[in-house]
Amino acid sequence: MHTEAIDPPGIAWQRVSPKYITVRLVEWAVGNLVAVLLLSLPLLFVLLGVWRWPPLWLAVALPAAMLVLALWRLVLIPRQVRAIGYAERDDDLLVRTGIFFQRTMAVPYGRMQYVDIGVGPVERGLGLCTLKLHTAAPGTNAKIPGLPAAEGARLREQLAARGEARLAGL
Amino acid sequence: MTADRQVPGTGAPGSSPLPAGPAAADSAAPDDGWLRVHPASPFVRGWVALAAIGFFFGRDIFERMLQGRPVFTDELAGRAPWLLAGGAAMLLIAVLGFVLTWYFTKYQVSGGYVRVNTGFLFRQQRQARLDRVQAIDIVQPLLARIFGLAELKFEVADAGESAVRLAYLKMDDARQLRATILARAAGVSTGVEGPGEAAPEAPEYPVLSVPPSRLVGSLLLSEQSFFVAVGGVASVVLSAVTDNQSFYFYLIPAALGLAASYWTLFNKGYNFTAAISPDGIRLRYGLLDTQAQTLPPGRIQALKIAQPPLWRPFGWYRMQVNVAGYGLVENAGEGTSRTTLLPVGKLEDAMNMLALVLPDPGTAQPAAVFGAGLTGLDSDGGFVTTPRRARILAPLGWRRNGFAATDTALLIRSGRWWRELVVVPHQRTQSMALHQGPLARRFRVADLVLHTTAGPVAPRLTQAGVDEARALFNEQSARARLARKRQTTEQWLRQVAVPVVEPAETRPAPVVEPSSVVEPVETRAPHAPTQEGPQHG
Repeated sequence: MHTEAIDPPGIAWQRVSPKYITVRLVEWAVGNLVAVLLLSLPLLFVLLGVWRWPPLWLAVALPAAMLVLALWRLVLIPRQVRAIGYAERDDDLLVRTGIFFQRTMAVPYGRMQYVDIGVGPVERGLGLCTLKLHTAAPGTNAKIPGLPAAEGARLREQLAARGEARLAGL
Repeated sequence: MTADRQVPGTGAPGSSPLPAGPAAADSAAPDDGWLRVHPASPFVRGWVALAAIGFFFGRDIFERMLQGRPVFTDELAGRAPWLLAGGAAMLLIAVLGFVLTWYFTKYQVSGGYVRVNTGFLFRQQRQARLDRVQAIDIVQPLLARIFGLAELKFEVADAGESAVRLAYLKMDDARQLRATILARAAGVSTGVEGPGEAAPEAPEYPVLSVPPSRLVGSLLLSEQSFFVAVGGVASVVLSAVTDNQSFYFYLIPAALGLAASYWTLFNKGYNFTAAISPDGIRLRYGLLDTQAQTLPPGRIQALKIAQPPLWRPFGWYRMQVNVAGYGLVENAGEGTSRTTLLPVGKLEDAMNMLALVLPDPGTAQPAAVFGAGLTGLDSDGGFVTTPRRARILAPLGWRRNGFAATDTALLIRSGRWWRELVVVPHQRTQSMALHQGPLARRFRVADLVLHTTAGPVAPRLTQAGVDEARALFNEQSARARLARKRQTTEQWLRQVAVPVVEPAETRPAPVVEPSSVVEPVETRAPHAPTQEGPQHG
């Protein structure tokens, strides 16, 4: 993937595991399919003749719109996962996400207060983990999902070591 | 800060309120520099409970007196013993609870830590590192003020629940303790380790005060008043058009709420004075409840100077700050007054405060640069604004939205009508991010967000040209890194006094230990049991 306009030039991004796509797919399925099914209920009632109010076109349009939206999100997932990247620089960690709404974040090692590793049920099955960085600022929402477990552990140790070496006050 | 919970070992909590083991340890403790808060403090804090008891049992008599009926009748005489016994029992339980709470609340200042022990069934011990003190307040609610008592409250930025409170102390004791804590935090060694031998209070020099007339004016011309006026006109018009009188009834609760809100702002902002002393900026304010805040130097994470449109004819500004720990205050009213550095002030007041907060502006012409940040347009004062190609994204603000960097701080200005200038010292930058949405990409602009501790200031540079934003992103990382290297100690006076010894002295004490990973859990856990404590008594 080519470097986007807002990324600092000359960065070799580390990409997250492609298996993370599966995790996102499961999340997508749980979230969106349930929403589509719920929105299809009026259609069902109308077809069965129980409800009279929503006209047929509205009852059809509602889940259809939701379905289109969900499919659009589905198509985006692989690209979104490929857009996630991180890079360890000398003094800070860069994390980038997003295709349409891009974000490139720099978290200085000296500012990290602690590093979390979280593993969800699907991630555990695939041997992945999510790394979360915390600084004193609540706005630092730096999350690197979909790391292979070994890489996550290595990164955590690395960040902790670098953080200790460059520790600064608040 | 760490907090440990010590549950007394005695298995039956109901058997005796004074378990033998801990009690024996406690009786010895005050000799080791442990002090107790003022004996009247639980009554000052719990007067609502006492008032409730009084109201409950006195209501009948009071109503009789009000209605002119005889106070003592046969019917009452029959009930009187029960009433009296019930009242006395409740009073006794309340007072016993108060006395026990008081007896088991102890504090100690020694060895770079403040330790506070509370609770008698569920004990809680908190300790706070003095060199992590972010700010220290002396709060006097009205009742405490009448009794000459004060609450000492200080923020230690380590974990989630950060305020350490000591309520109540005698006013002089509170002042002295504040001086001691600040002196220790600053790294001044008094040579004496006992809290009794307190450090002398640092001298202070008044900087500015806000006259009440200006405060009232600022409240009347605030954004809130604008919406009040619009709402009032709208409802009057509605009631006239619909010929419906009930609109006025809806206005009554709204008016009450507004009056309360204005009163809070007036009460909190009244008699606002700022002073500078070697241990930090001192802010004092309050009509009925007074508060004295001390912000040690360099504790301010970010700062915002704002001017609503209605204030412009008068040249007034408002200053708000982010201080670690302040942003976590759950009480919104208290939070806003504590994060206000200047409720309303003229340009020179704002500049004076700015000079206190940022002693080294990092530029040769601070007045020109910061003045341009407040009122300037385009490239005055070295600001870089939104490129012309993106003016459609912010038709009014594009000439204002911009940034300038001095050697010590990043200035972000925005707003044509709602003017704002955000100042973030380089060494306080936590992390930052570039954001770009699809529309911004079309116009080749990007937003730069600086992350800072929780508070009213959220620094965001909007719609900067993509090349400028990227350059700033890199430069800012480098500047923050350099600034962090320069700033080596939390003990600000030591930095000046013994610059040679200081790195060796501060290094071994890790500022944020990796152990802080678990701290939020530890600090939160003991709170719920502590609050239950008195009820068990």
